[in-house]
Amino acid sequence: MRDTLPNYFLFDTQPEAHLTPEVIAEACRQLKRNRAQYLRDMPTDQLITHLSRLAGNWQDDLFPFRKMALDTGPSATGFSRSTLAHGLDRFFARITEDNLHNLIAQELGDCRRLDAPLSTPEERSENRLAFARGPELIGHIASGQLPCPTMMSMIQGLLVGSAQFIKCAENAGWLPTLFAHSLYDAHPKLGACIELAHWPGGQTELESPLFDEADCITATGHDETLASIQTRINPHKRFIGYGHRVSFAYIHQDMLSRALSRDLAQRMAQDIASWNQLGCLSPHLVYVERGGAVRPEVFAEMIAEALDTLETTQPRGEISPEESGTIAYKRNFYEVRSAGTGDVRQWKSKEGTHWTVVFEEDPVFTTSCLNRFIHVKPIGDLEEMLRVAEMARGQVSTVGVAAPKNDTETIVKQLAHWGVTRVCPIGQMQDPPLGWRHDGRPPLGDLVTWTDWEQ
Amino acid sequence: MTFQSYNEADRSITRFIEQGDGDFETLALALHDLQARYVPAIAALCQNRGITPGSNHQIHQIPAIPTIAFRDMAITSIPEQDRIHHFESSGTTAAKPSHHWHHRKSLKLYETSLRLPFQKYVLNGKKWKGRILALTPLRTEAPNSSLAHMASHVLGSDTIHAAECCDNGWNINQHICDTACEQAILSDDPLLIFGPAFSFLHWLDATDTLHKLPQGSRIMETGGYKGRSRELPKNEFHKLLSERLSVPESHIVCEYGMCELGSQAYDREIGTRQERAFRFPHWAQPIIINPETGNPCAEGEIGLLRIIDLANVYSSVAIQTQDLARSVLDGFEVLGRDQAAEPRGCSLNLLQQT
Repeated sequence: MRDTLPNYFLFDTQPEAHLTPEVIAEACRQLKRNRAQYLRDMPTDQLITHLSRLAGNWQDDLFPFRKMALDTGPSATGFSRSTLAHGLDRFFARITEDNLHNLIAQELGDCRRLDAPLSTPEERSENRLAFARGPELIGHIASGQLPCPTMMSMIQGLLVGSAQFIKCAENAGWLPTLFAHSLYDAHPKLGACIELAHWPGGQTELESPLFDEADCITATGHDETLASIQTRINPHKRFIGYGHRVSFAYIHQDMLSRALSRDLAQRMAQDIASWNQLGCLSPHLVYVERGGAVRPEVFAEMIAEALDTLETTQPRGEISPEESGTIAYKRNFYEVRSAGTGDVRQWKSKEGTHWTVVFEEDPVFTTSCLNRFIHVKPIGDLEEMLRVAEMARGQVSTVGVAAPKNDTETIVKQLAHWGVTRVCPIGQMQDPPLGWRHDGRPPLGDLVTWTDWEQ
Repeated sequence: MTFQSYNEADRSITRFIEQGDGDFETLALALHDLQARYVPAIAALCQNRGITPGSNHQIHQIPAIPTIAFRDMAITSIPEQDRIHHFESSGTTAAKPSHHWHHRKSLKLYETSLRLPFQKYVLNGKKWKGRILALTPLRTEAPNSSLAHMASHVLGSDTIHAAECCDNGWNINQHICDTACEQAILSDDPLLIFGPAFSFLHWLDATDTLHKLPQGSRIMETGGYKGRSRELPKNEFHKLLSERLSVPESHIVCEYGMCELGSQAYDREIGTRQERAFRFPHWAQPIIINPETGNPCAEGEIGLLRIIDLANVYSSVAIQTQDLARSVLDGFEVLGRDQAAEPRGCSLNLLQQT
C-alpha cells in the first residue's frame, strides 16, 4: 500500500516505523484536535451524504480504491478476488442514506438528535428534550480477519462524531486502512479524524496512551483478552467488549421439500463461502431436521455440490499451511471414521482443501476448523438441537433459520430465550443489516452519552 | 515381501531394530499389508481408497491413521481379550484421550524401541553411573502414561521420581527435585534429569534456587506444555534450564514422542555439536506431507508431519500427526504456533474437536 498511497496513517509506515507510546499519545491528541475542528459540529445529514456516497463509490468497478482492493487484496488479505468483491459489495450495499438515517433513528429516536436537542413524542409529553453526543475519541482494539467489522466500527464512530484510533488485528489491517484512505481522499477532514496502526498483542505500553487518551474503548477478542483490557481501563471510561462468538444454522423439516432444498443448499453454501467462513457470523455447523422429503444426508450432499460450484465462481484462495494442515488432518480423521461406520460421510473438493462437508449422525455440537469446512448433523427438532448445543450456550451469535413462516416466530422466541442474539434467513448470515445489534447491544446507543434538557 | 503372521512381522522388525537387518521400505509396506488385514480401521480405510495388498509401492502411499482416531476407535490388531495394557495421551481437556493398546509382545517391542535410542542420544551408548531424577511418577502410579513407562523402563530402579499423580496428570514435588540436585552436588555425581517441559517449569517457576550440577549432568526434556504451564520457545526454555541448573545446552536433549507412536525422535546426541533437528532411529521415518496435495513436501517446505514407524507393529505403521514441521538437515523441525501463521477467524475453542 505504501508504494501507491501516501503515508497518511501509522499503519502505512509499518512495520518500518517504530511505534512508541509518545507517538500513540500524540496521534490521539491530534485526532482529538481534528475532531473538534472538523467533525464534532458537522451536521449529521452532511456526514450521511459523505458516507453513503463513498459506499456507493466502493461498489463501482472503476473506483480506484475498489480496484486496488480487488487487485492487491488477494495477496494482502488471503481472500480471493471474487470473495473480496462479493463481501465488499454486500457490505457497502447496506451503507445507503436511508439506512444510515434509519440506523440513527432506531438508536436515538430521531436522526437529528446528534445535531441539536430534540424530543420524541414520549419525551415531549414530559416537556423535555435530549441531545446525544459521541465520545471524543474511541479506541478500537480489533481482532479477527474480516475487514467489515472494523470498517463498520469506523462508520458508526463517524456517525456519532467521534475521532477514532484503530488498533488493527494482525494481518487484517490492510483493507480497513484502504477504506480510511478512500475516506481521506474523498473528505480529508473526516480522514484526519481516523488513525490506524498495528502492534502485536501484549505490548501494553503502546495501549496505555490509547486507553488514557480515549474516552471510550471497544474491543473484540477472546473473553480473557477482554477481561484483561478492562482491568487496564479507568472504570469511569466506557468499555464495550465483544467476545468471540459462533454461529450455526437450523433447517426445519418442512423446508426440505424437493422444490426448495436445492436453492436452500445453495444459500447455505454462500453463508459458508462468504469471507471463507472466518467471521463470528459464519456457520460452524448445520442442524437439519429429520422427517423432510429430503433427508439430512442428502441435504449435506447438496451443500457439497453447491460449494463445489461456488469454488468456480468464488474460489476460496490460498490459506496458511497451519490452516490447510488442520483441514487435511480433520479430513483424514473423518475419512477413517466414515470408512468404519455408515454414520459418517464426507464430501470434499477433488483437489486441495478448498471445501469440505462432513455429515455425522451424532448431533453433538461441533465447531469447524473453518475455511469452508462445514459439519452437517441431523436433529429431531428444535428442542433437541438446543439441548445438544447447550455447551455453546451464551457464546452463540447468529442462528440462520429456514422454517415455515408460521413457525418462525415461535422458533425465534425459543432461540432468544436460549440466548441467541440474531436470527436470520439462510444466505444472509454474514450480511447483518446496518442496524444489527452486535451481541444484542445497540450499535450507536452504546457509544453515545445523553444530555437531557428539561423545560 | 509379505508377512504371513504377526509373529513373523514381530521377528523381522525386531531383527531390523536390533541389527538393521532388512530394508525399511519393504518392511513398512509389508507391515501395512498385514495391518490392512487385521486392523479394522485400516482395512476400512484401504477399502475406501481402493487399496489392495501390494498396490502401494511407496511408503507415503500407505494410508496414515491420524492420531485423533486413537481416541475414537481401537487402532489395533490385538484382540480385545489379549489387551493387557494401554497408553493414553495426556492433556487437560475433557476430550477422550487416545488409547494405544498393547499385549505382552507389543510391549516388549515397544521397550526395545525405547531403549536403544535413549542409550545412544542421552547416554552416548555408555552405562550411566550418575544419579537420576525423573519428573514423572512411577509407572505403577501412572500406568497409562507412556512417559512414565519410558522413565521406569530406561532409567532403572535407582531413579528418584519427583512427580505425584493428581486428577489432572501429575504435580511436581519441588523439594524432592531440589534435594536430588543437592545430593548430586554433594557427592559430585552427575545427575540425569528426565521429564516433560511443563514439569521442569512447575519446578523452576515455584523455586528460586540455583543449582550448580556436577559436570556431565544432562537433561532430557520431552517438550510439550499442554496448557499446564506457561510456554517458552525452545531456545529460551533451554537457556533457563542451563542458567538454573548449570547444565550446558550441549547436554540438553529434546525428545519427540507421543502415545500413538512406538518410536521417539531426539534432536541431538548429548555432548556433541550436532545441529538440533529431530531424528528418528533407523526403524522410523518422518514424511512431511503437503496438506493441499497429500504428497510429500519439497525440501524445507512446511507441511504436516507423518511418521512411518515400524515399531507400531500391532497398530498402524503410518501415523498422521497434527504437527506442522519441515525437514531440516537429516531430520525435521516441529513448528510451534509462533513460527507458523496464526490460524485466521474467530472460532471459539468451545471444545476439543472430536
